[in-house]
Amino acid sequence: MKLVIGNKNYSSWSFRPWIAMKALGIPFEEVLIPFGAPLGNPDFKAQIARYSPAGLVPVLVDGNIHVWESLAIFEYLSETCPEKHLWPADPRARAEARSIASEMHAGFGPLRSECPMNFRRPVRTRELSAAAQQNVARFEAIWNGCVARHGGPFLFGKFCAADAMYAPGVARLHTYGIEVGRETRSYMEVMMALPAWAEWKAAALRESWIVAEDEVDWPTVLSA
Amino acid sequence: MALRLIIGNKNYSSWSMRPWIGLRAAGIPFDEEVISLYVPGSKEQILKYSPAGKVPVLIDGAVHVWESLAILEYAAEKFPAAGLWPSDPAARAHARAISAEMHAGFAALRNECGMILWRPPAKKALSPEAQANIARIQELWTDARARFGAGGPFLFGKFSAADAMYAPVVARFATYMIDVTPQVATYMAAMTSLPAWREWRRGALTETWVIPKFEESYPTVPRLPADAA
Repeated sequence: MKLVIGNKNYSSWSFRPWIAMKALGIPFEEVLIPFGAPLGNPDFKAQIARYSPAGLVPVLVDGNIHVWESLAIFEYLSETCPEKHLWPADPRARAEARSIASEMHAGFGPLRSECPMNFRRPVRTRELSAAAQQNVARFEAIWNGCVARHGGPFLFGKFCAADAMYAPGVARLHTYGIEVGRETRSYMEVMMALPAWAEWKAAALRESWIVAEDEVDWPTVLSA
Repeated sequence: MALRLIIGNKNYSSWSMRPWIGLRAAGIPFDEEVISLYVPGSKEQILKYSPAGKVPVLIDGAVHVWESLAILEYAAEKFPAAGLWPSDPAARAHARAISAEMHAGFAALRNECGMILWRPPAKKALSPEAQANIARIQELWTDARARFGAGGPFLFGKFSAADAMYAPVVARFATYMIDVTPQVATYMAAMTSLPAWREWRRGALTETWVIPKFEESYPTVPRLPADAA
């Protein structure tokens, strides 16, 4: 299988299936297509079109099957690699995991636009709008509720697709120095201690491409 | 115990329409509870069922499932014979990809062309972003029909969860009189002839709750007659 992704520094959608496949031990070949203008890759559109009709990363390629959208990729992997347990085994927990994964997939717009994923940026506090603060509160309620109900250290005990969906959320809260409760911080530490996390982050820091719209201090680019 | 689906106004709640029409068209029995949105007390009522505070919510005994995609996945697992997803793995992967694309995308179209089933059909000027959404949707419907649609009039031949995800878009295209290709018009006709579609629409046209922020010319509320075809 091939996983087609965008820049590791910025592409939160790419991060989700990548960290899930790494953390769960599903082998794949990575194809990285850096994003386009102004300082990136002028051929992004043409290159991604070969893999995805939607023109979006990530895309999972398995023979002649092309699956785009991170949630659809998780469902595909869950069916093709059942022994890797992408979703919790208990039906009730699985329903909850899919609900919170979908909630992430379609929601949290204010936090996502105010705090773009940006591994290169040094930890620096950013003021949030009231709407983004509500998003943070909802993250905390989801994470802490799941850890409390299912025993931790991940949302449903063992790492699963729901954790992968929230991995960029963890990165955002960390990078922008968002104040969170102690339990929330413990969950974030567990995620950031994954070897897969360290591998992605190290590669992100080696990238030199800049995406201006994801640099909140543009034209200044803060770099750790 | 029967499944219970908690939904918002049939006239406006596109997210509610997705699992409702999915379950209904697949013949999965459920009871419905309609909560009128954006009125005093509605938020509290929804929070009783869903920690996210949003409709739709599916309740199956102690299991509460929210988000339309998660509800469709839950129903697909619980009722495998209903065939909510296509049985061929390649078709199923494709169906899930376009469903997820709908779930997270097409914001411009959704903002500019709110689902208002009782709105008399009329054109409206749209932004380039909304027009790009419309082009992409027509392309993905046509592509799915061409690749996987041989067995029937829907995206994957017979009706599936992917059609349920796009049902409100069919409503928007009709309400805002979007220019579509003949293939797309044929697909839309298949959708709007579904008994489940007609049942939902009848329910919408007979509702009395008006949500001012969704009405373009409020306090005027142009409405199709309750028995409109």
